[in-house]
Amino acid sequence: MVSSRGQMKIQQMIFMIVAVTLLFILVGVFFLSINLSNLKKSSVNLAEENSMLLVSKLANSPEFSCGNAFGSSRTNCIDFDKVISLKGRTEYSDFWGVAKIEIRKIYPNQGDTLCTSKNYPDCGVLKILDKNVKILPYSSNFVSLCRKETDGKIVYDKCELAMLLIASQDKTS
Amino acid sequence: MLQSLDKMKSKKGALEISFGWLFAIVAGIVIIFIAIYISSRLIGTQQTSISAQTGKQIGILLDPLETGFESAQTTSITIPSDTRINNICDSAGTFGKQIINLEQKSFGKWIKTDVNVGFQNKYIFSDGQIEGKKFYVFSKPFSFPFKIADLMYITSSDKRYCFSNAPNEINQEISTLNQSNLVVDNCAVNDVKICFGKENCEINVDFSSNSVEKNGTKVYFAGDDRTLMYAAIFSNKTIYECQIKRLMSRVGEISSLYASKELLINGKGCQNDIGSNLGELSGLANELNKSNELEIVKIEADMINQKNNAGVCQLW
Repeated sequence: MVSSRGQMKIQQMIFMIVAVTLLFILVGVFFLSINLSNLKKSSVNLAEENSMLLVSKLANSPEFSCGNAFGSSRTNCIDFDKVISLKGRTEYSDFWGVAKIEIRKIYPNQGDTLCTSKNYPDCGVLKILDKNVKILPYSSNFVSLCRKETDGKIVYDKCELAMLLIASQDKTS
Repeated sequence: MLQSLDKMKSKKGALEISFGWLFAIVAGIVIIFIAIYISSRLIGTQQTSISAQTGKQIGILLDPLETGFESAQTTSITIPSDTRINNICDSAGTFGKQIINLEQKSFGKWIKTDVNVGFQNKYIFSDGQIEGKKFYVFSKPFSFPFKIADLMYITSSDKRYCFSNAPNEINQEISTLNQSNLVVDNCAVNDVKICFGKENCEINVDFSSNSVEKNGTKVYFAGDDRTLMYAAIFSNKTIYECQIKRLMSRVGEISSLYASKELLINGKGCQNDIGSNLGELSGLANELNKSNELEIVKIEADMINQKNNAGVCQLW
């Protein structure tokens, strides 16, 4: 009789311990999921912040900027003659830490024709970096897209209005 | 006699613990230990995540400093807790990598993390480890002969640098920056003294050999805009040499971009005839191993710059 009461108590105790352990595990999992979602949120925020800040200064970086090639130094001016050869350069694939970089002509609008060395400069979209990954929303900035042009006799500078678009990779999924 | 036997019996009873109690105590101890272990692991993970986020944030905050045509600019970064920024430079790959690793103080102890945040397009010049809550970042564009990058010099607000007997241009530039830990003359005892004369200071700049001597080691700089001179002053030899190698790799890549551009605009009547020189510059820059070879690359860069300025259309 005494031994069966003792066994009962031990069973109760084991049941309690299992219940308490499960409670701890559940609380831990809940805490971890909140923590993980916060971490994902901050990772997205950082990636978005990065592309937002990058788009405002990328046009002035050495690989893109006009420098003094079109007279005096200009800000937010992209050298089309230089940047066309940047397309498809694998060395630059991780250089800016973003997934997509493209330049879209706004005025004059030349549609969605992709720029290649063959149709240059009569095209509308130049995709400098185009990784096949899930991306976050694009950040954009207006720029002037300048190149050297000739009418057969003289060489002159031609600048058009364009938009620089940048998107970071969405690493949350 | 009987009384003492009774006492002994009662004492024996006081020592008796039922199995239930014993089991509960052991299980309780195990649960408490597991809880403590998991909590400490979670705190560690949290610390690592904070360090990674702060590292990335520092890198992102440096973006606005990479601008177009300003000669030099400064900003400050304040981190809520005491922080050690470990500046790591990796020259492997086409552009190498700027790595930032953070250690933060928690409950009076420095917490090391394995999280390295890397950037291919940044060049930070500082000592291997800088410590403090407030950091100053001073940036300057580097051209060789076309613009290559914006170099960042990070210093802790706890460390004051004093420029002694510096040329007027440097004094003016430092004064214009208005960065509180960079002072001109009137050096205090605890200041890191940078001398431009014949004195023997912690850091000695010699314009005759274009070199900077620091901690018994010597590194070389080139260029008239003093960008690399500041880089040599604020960084240690390992970081300086590695960053120079990375910068020269970028010189090589940008040279080849300009060579492609030259080919493209040649057909439009813009003949500069510097394609072959750009190829040579790219080769020399990519082969550079140490800063004492900078002068050779500089000679080629200067020649290309002259040709570009005299050309029909300027390439940059």
